[in-house]
Amino acid sequence: MLNKLKSLIAAGAVAVAGLASPALAADAVIGVSIPAATHGWTGGLNYHTKRTIDRMKEAFPNIDFVLATSSSATQQVNDIEDLMARNINALVVLPFESDPLTEPVKAAKAKGVFIATVDRGLAEEGIEDLYVGGDNPQYGKAAAEYFKKKFPDGGKIVVMRGIPTAIDNIRIEAFNEALKGTKIEVLDMQYANWNPDKGFEVMQDYLQRFPQIDGVWAGDDDAALGAIEAIKQADRKNVTVLGGSGMNKVIKLVQDGHDMVDADIFYPPTLIIPAIELVTMKFATQAPINGRYVLGSPLITKDNAAEYYFPDAPY
Amino acid sequence: MSLLSFREVAKTYGVVPVLKGIDLAIEPGEVLALVGENGAGKSTLMRIAAGLADASAGTMLLDGAAAPATLQAAERAGIVMVHQEFCLAPHLTVAENVFLGREITRGLFTDRKAMETKARGLLAELGSAAPVRARLRDLPVSDWQMIELAKAFARQPKLILMDEPTAVLSATEAGNLFARIRAFRESGGSVIFTSHRLDEVKAIADRVAVLRDGQIVRVEATSDISEDEMAEAMVGRPLAEIYPPRRGMAKRKVLLSVAGLAAPGSVDDVSLDIREGEVLGISGLVGSGRTELFEALLGLRPAKCRSFVLRGEERKLPEAREAWALKLAYLTEDRKGKGLLLGKSLDQNVALTKGAITGSSWIDRRAERRDLETAVERYDIRTGRLDVTAGALSGGNQQKVLIAKTLGVEPDLIVFDEPTRGVDIGAKQQIYEIIAQLAAAGKAIVVISSEMQEIVGLSDRVLVMRRGRIAGELSGEAISENDIIRFAMGLEETSPQEEAPH
Amino acid sequence: MTDMTATTAGVAAASPGRSLVRLLEAAGPLLALILLMLIGTVTSDSFLGAENLSNVFTRSAIIGIIAVGATFVITAGGLDLSVGSLSALVAGMTIMFMNSAAATLGDGWLLVIAGIAFSLAIGAFAGFINGFMIVKGRVEAFIVTLGAMGIFRSVITWLADGGSISLDFSLRDTARPIYYGQVFGIAVPIIVLAVIAVVGELTLRRMRFGRHVAAIGSNRHVAFYSAIPVSRVRILTYVIQGLCVAIATVIYVPRLGAATPSTGLMWELEAIAAVIIGGTALSGGFGRIWGTIVGVLILGFISNILNLTGFISPYLNGAFQGAIIIIAVLLQRDRSQG
Repeated sequence: MLNKLKSLIAAGAVAVAGLASPALAADAVIGVSIPAATHGWTGGLNYHTKRTIDRMKEAFPNIDFVLATSSSATQQVNDIEDLMARNINALVVLPFESDPLTEPVKAAKAKGVFIATVDRGLAEEGIEDLYVGGDNPQYGKAAAEYFKKKFPDGGKIVVMRGIPTAIDNIRIEAFNEALKGTKIEVLDMQYANWNPDKGFEVMQDYLQRFPQIDGVWAGDDDAALGAIEAIKQADRKNVTVLGGSGMNKVIKLVQDGHDMVDADIFYPPTLIIPAIELVTMKFATQAPINGRYVLGSPLITKDNAAEYYFPDAPY
Repeated sequence: MSLLSFREVAKTYGVVPVLKGIDLAIEPGEVLALVGENGAGKSTLMRIAAGLADASAGTMLLDGAAAPATLQAAERAGIVMVHQEFCLAPHLTVAENVFLGREITRGLFTDRKAMETKARGLLAELGSAAPVRARLRDLPVSDWQMIELAKAFARQPKLILMDEPTAVLSATEAGNLFARIRAFRESGGSVIFTSHRLDEVKAIADRVAVLRDGQIVRVEATSDISEDEMAEAMVGRPLAEIYPPRRGMAKRKVLLSVAGLAAPGSVDDVSLDIREGEVLGISGLVGSGRTELFEALLGLRPAKCRSFVLRGEERKLPEAREAWALKLAYLTEDRKGKGLLLGKSLDQNVALTKGAITGSSWIDRRAERRDLETAVERYDIRTGRLDVTAGALSGGNQQKVLIAKTLGVEPDLIVFDEPTRGVDIGAKQQIYEIIAQLAAAGKAIVVISSEMQEIVGLSDRVLVMRRGRIAGELSGEAISENDIIRFAMGLEETSPQEEAPH
Repeated sequence: MTDMTATTAGVAAASPGRSLVRLLEAAGPLLALILLMLIGTVTSDSFLGAENLSNVFTRSAIIGIIAVGATFVITAGGLDLSVGSLSALVAGMTIMFMNSAAATLGDGWLLVIAGIAFSLAIGAFAGFINGFMIVKGRVEAFIVTLGAMGIFRSVITWLADGGSISLDFSLRDTARPIYYGQVFGIAVPIIVLAVIAVVGELTLRRMRFGRHVAAIGSNRHVAFYSAIPVSRVRILTYVIQGLCVAIATVIYVPRLGAATPSTGLMWELEAIAAVIIGGTALSGGFGRIWGTIVGVLILGFISNILNLTGFISPYLNGAFQGAIIIIAVLLQRDRSQG
């Protein structure tokens, strides 16, 4: 219901944006299709997308942009069809889910549209011209390595999963894989949906259930914040909390030193920026650009925190 | 051989015996009326005949063989029931409703044209001009009854069961129905119907069976029994005059005077006076605007007027809550839909209006209980327990609860809209008594009724409405059914303004 | 015909068998709750601990307070789908207000009180707008509150640039006790919930206003013809809902010290589910505040038990919740006659 209305507003925004285009014919129209701001990470994504589009518009006034945000995979399919109807030359898309979006993107490619996929690929190889992505397996691995280093002689940890999606599955798989054969014991994995309120609740219940918890992997920073409050309330000591995604609030905690959080995993929503920039370049400067750019997900610690800290961003 | 016969039929619900040893037979080509007080068992007997309920004991035979025991089987055998509470679908058209469940098909599809033509024919036989393509919810309630009847006739029945068929019909429409019933009888069909209108029973039935306390106490040819005798058999005791004696024509003070009252679509420029201690009857055909007039007067529908003078003071037309606060009360004709909360307890219902106008923020349950007990006493409300819901009461008792609720605010003007519709003879008498007492105590009473007898019997003065206007006024001895009907049909035009003294 | 069956129904109501059935009906939600607690005790050692119970009760207080307001709205025959989004909006705006007012009002209790007053004002105002559009504008409640849901959420997303809005650190400590504090060993949110529940129950059952609410939901025409101020009462139920949302938000904010884009997500469905499980008829006319509280606890315990035990795959959590809700409602009779 909420989603429908948001899409309506989004579609309306697209229509209005279309109506408000400048009179002079653009050299190229770039369509951008991303998920709507339903949680912290996507909130940041939207923020960075809009800022980048504005910057590119200013730098290259002869390039037009059309932005569509959707709150579900089906809605996104509709959005891409609408963008196609506006005769876009390029499509920058962050697919909600790889499978349902594969056909529409393939159809766009067949019509000669330049395809850039961000963060997630499609179900088939070779459709996109440009891929800018995060490394989800590395995300899960980095978390596992962190706990391995933290507890070389073994330890008990609990895990909170994210929104049930392909990304979450990939990360958890990699995490479990990397922990095989170690003495780290995973007590349980429940869904916290990358949500601070749910993270709070799940952590409270974990603390009730397990008298000893050495570490928590909350899945991402939003859930981690909730987990931290729960641990604080229960007055439990010596619990290490790891989130992920590089939220500025949590990075600040890492920077300043916190008794529970001393690391983060870099997986920022800023990866949309290079995607949009590169595509704009292609049309503005006629430079051929394609390829796969996988941005790493390094572990952020106190030492390198300053690099990854953006206080003004909403995420 | 009889068409349908009951032999020693009995019915008990739980431990309560509702029918005891009924022996009755209906011949083909006969119209039989069932009369009795509420609770006497008429409806139960009808339901058993229709296949809606099983007898607990005894046998029912149709054409000498065991009678069908389910509704579908009964319909197939030619026994069709016309319900009092309409089994119609408001969103479908008239034609669709007439053939509901028995649509005429052409191959795979329903044959709409055929259904419409047939429906039109059936309705015409009933004297109804309801448009067959119209949706039911856009038509007035009297049309619904006609359509319900057309639906029954569409099934080509041998026996039609009708429950209070003329309750919502005007005199003309009832006349048309009777003509159709006579035609049906001529062709060999039979009818069993229940009614509270004993004059109608005399008019159309060949025989009448009187039920009292689950047993048949008299079965006679209608030519051999008078209405009074019927009423006495129903009640089991001699009846005093049904209507309270007429009082003298004293000069009465005007309580409320309105001029130029108009409500869009129903009331057109009405001016009238209402006097203290007077019973003012409002008559007219269904649809003439009687209910709408008084709803408009008392703020229950949007309206405007040129002047509104209450107790000598000019003021504007009151809104619903204001009217009550000004001691002007309206007792709705729709006691189930607008009068009582059927799912709530009796004491809550009785206290509702009084509480809304003068009640304190905190509910005093004990006081409400006391008020209920007083009301039960004063109005003889028959209910086994006091903590039942209003929906559990019979029509007559519900009406008395509604009266108790309305009188709870001690109003000076009470408009009774169809006060005895669906009410048995015993309760009717009691309600007339209440009205007479209120008038004697100086209250201004208005009675809107479709029962001519009632208007003539109760009123000191009668206003007849036609098409949203007052077509005529009659007072005292001049009040007669004939004159009322002539005004209602437009056969006599007298400008009401000249009659009404100001 | 109906008269006949009506009397027999009335007579049948007198028999003792039926009043036992009625009692079971009324106790339905309570029985479901006790059953759930038994399951919890049996499947997990930590379930009956004082801390766990306190956690669940405290967490449930937020939805619980909102659900009390929803009980009024639904009993009057209305519906409000915007409560979750309104929570997010109130939370965000209150935090922004407190952050900026800290300069003039300091960072002590005066600021907190100002923040509470601000929340209540926004909540009541939003409720009033909803009520006005529905009652005077004559637009379906479903549509109006669906639209409001989208509008509230969009506004706060816009104000927050898609991110979270956080209380300044200095203010967090002052506000913390609202969620984490205790009075005589009982968590503050539980006390607030209890007070609101008692006030709500008394109002709905024993006060004129509550009776009018039930009458309107039972049959709006009858209420109008009985001199009840129908429009006024209906609008007030939405204002009450708005106030309840505001109070719930005031309790929610100190927990994380922030309003995030996921604040309030799905809260309307949880609140309405709690109301229905508790025995209030969705079609209106009969409301049961204590039932709503039981409904909220049932929902809270379900997710608690799922977290405390490992035997149900987390993939099936949603199915488990859905099944319990359906069972709880099946245990009750159809109250739409009321």
